[in-house]
Amino acid sequence: MEELLVKVKAAFSSTFDIDPQTITLDSTPSDIPAWDSMGHVELASSLEHAFGVSFDVDDLMAMENVKEICRVVQSKVGKVQGVRV
Amino acid sequence: MCGSNDSNFAGRLLRRLGKNSHLIDAATGQTLSGKEIPGLIAGFAAGFLSAGLQAGERVLISCGLSPASTLAYLGAMYAGLVPVLVDERALATSGEPILARARAKAVWVGKGVQCDWARRNGVTQIEGNFDARPAHSLPPAPCKEEDLAVLMPTSGSTGVPRLVMVSHGNLRANTEAIVQSQCLGPDEKAMLIMPVSYCFGASVMHSHLYQGGGVVFDSRFMFPDKVLRAMNTYGCTTFAGVPSVYNILLRRSNLRSIQLPELRRFLQAGGALAPESVREMRGIVPTAEFFVMYGQTEATARITYVPPDRLGEKLGSVGLPMDNLMIRVVDGEGRELAAGQTGEIQVRGPSVCSGYFDDLEATERKFGDGWLKTGDFACRDAEGYLWIRGRTSEFIKIRGVRVSFGEVETKVAGVPGVYECAATATRHPEAGEALALFIVADDGPSIVAERVRRALPPQWTCVSVRVVPELPKTENGKIARSQLRTMA
Repeated sequence: MEELLVKVKAAFSSTFDIDPQTITLDSTPSDIPAWDSMGHVELASSLEHAFGVSFDVDDLMAMENVKEICRVVQSKVGKVQGVRV
Repeated sequence: MCGSNDSNFAGRLLRRLGKNSHLIDAATGQTLSGKEIPGLIAGFAAGFLSAGLQAGERVLISCGLSPASTLAYLGAMYAGLVPVLVDERALATSGEPILARARAKAVWVGKGVQCDWARRNGVTQIEGNFDARPAHSLPPAPCKEEDLAVLMPTSGSTGVPRLVMVSHGNLRANTEAIVQSQCLGPDEKAMLIMPVSYCFGASVMHSHLYQGGGVVFDSRFMFPDKVLRAMNTYGCTTFAGVPSVYNILLRRSNLRSIQLPELRRFLQAGGALAPESVREMRGIVPTAEFFVMYGQTEATARITYVPPDRLGEKLGSVGLPMDNLMIRVVDGEGRELAAGQTGEIQVRGPSVCSGYFDDLEATERKFGDGWLKTGDFACRDAEGYLWIRGRTSEFIKIRGVRVSFGEVETKVAGVPGVYECAATATRHPEAGEALALFIVADDGPSIVAERVRRALPPQWTCVSVRVVPELPKTENGKIARSQLRTMA
């Protein structure tokens, strides 16, 4: 989980050009000015690229804060690994 | 009418509010009723005046997606001040240069919004709301139709925007034309996901309040389903968005499964939305009309629209001028062109503004001789419908924000190893338009291309950086933009 959070933070940092230190599990769009509608799309692309997963519409809607993003990514990564096994 | 002293547009709006004139914040559920709004606006007006501001002085209004900034904006106008609107998201980067350009005396921000530079600039910072007071105790500041009502920025977060001088008469003329073209009644409610510092957002707010309707603000479009559901919760009849908003609705929302029974119309402006996306929107929500529109801040907001009943056969056109506007298409010498020939769109009428604040040279270039020179190139068909051929020769619109090619090229040319650079626009499924860059490199091509990518600010969506042996040029040595487009 810790490793996943580091990668998620890295995606935030590169998408929004912010210091990863400022990102917490509770961060929401209202804490990060660049996290607007287009920002959300770009963040999702960057996460998809970083983790080799793809999100559907309901995943995007669920990604309301960093904690939820980690949860969604975790479930996707789990599925991808499951297929490999 | 003209020359009378009761033309204050905010005052006029107040008199026209009705029982449906709610201002709602969908994220919190905060609802202000049509009965409360006049007192709140008068409260803001009184508050600004008691802060020492005097008629005609400029006050920066930071515009977020909540009712408060609309109250502050209208309150300042009501008091006879000149609100200067700035997108709250761009406050940190553009606020200070806009303050300087407008020579504003004060800055208003919503509660809790940071603005540490106000004091440094020696201007008053005003934060949050004022107590309501009876509107009859403070009548609107007397003004004439031609008096300056608001300074509207021309673009979003890139560079220092010019400030368009919008008069009370401009606002009234454009609002009335919009009301007529969209057949807005007193029971309308608009969903607004863009701030009123953008002329499109302001025009939607003005036109709905003007008819006694209301506005719902929602800052949560990063989760589009929340906005769609809020439209049903509050019975929204109008939805407005730029092309990227519709592309997000089509690809990143559950628009197909969330019914919108109350919705009467979609409004689309702020750049070209692909005809196939318009068709798709129509197919998914056939019960709502779809308005394709074209406008500029320099003409208050709206210039043309496609009547929805002609949309099918005129898909790709931006339509006919609003009833009170004249339009002509001219060649490089200013001669009017016949139907079918492509030239610059020029506009004349009561919603065309008088110019840019404190910029006589640009005002003369753009507004000289009474015709607004839009910089957009189009041709008219036999019925007078406008078909835009080149968005402009100088600008790209990324995510609804205008960025000049010159600015991009200057930035890229500064990257070590770049000998020459040219930028062009290409269609992008989400951003509307995105940059395609061509560079002539001094060093190893792949290293330079990577350096260029890193040097671009994140808001400049860029699809490709191509290293070429030379750039296409015109005989005058200028970059041949039309040729670039075909290379992208």
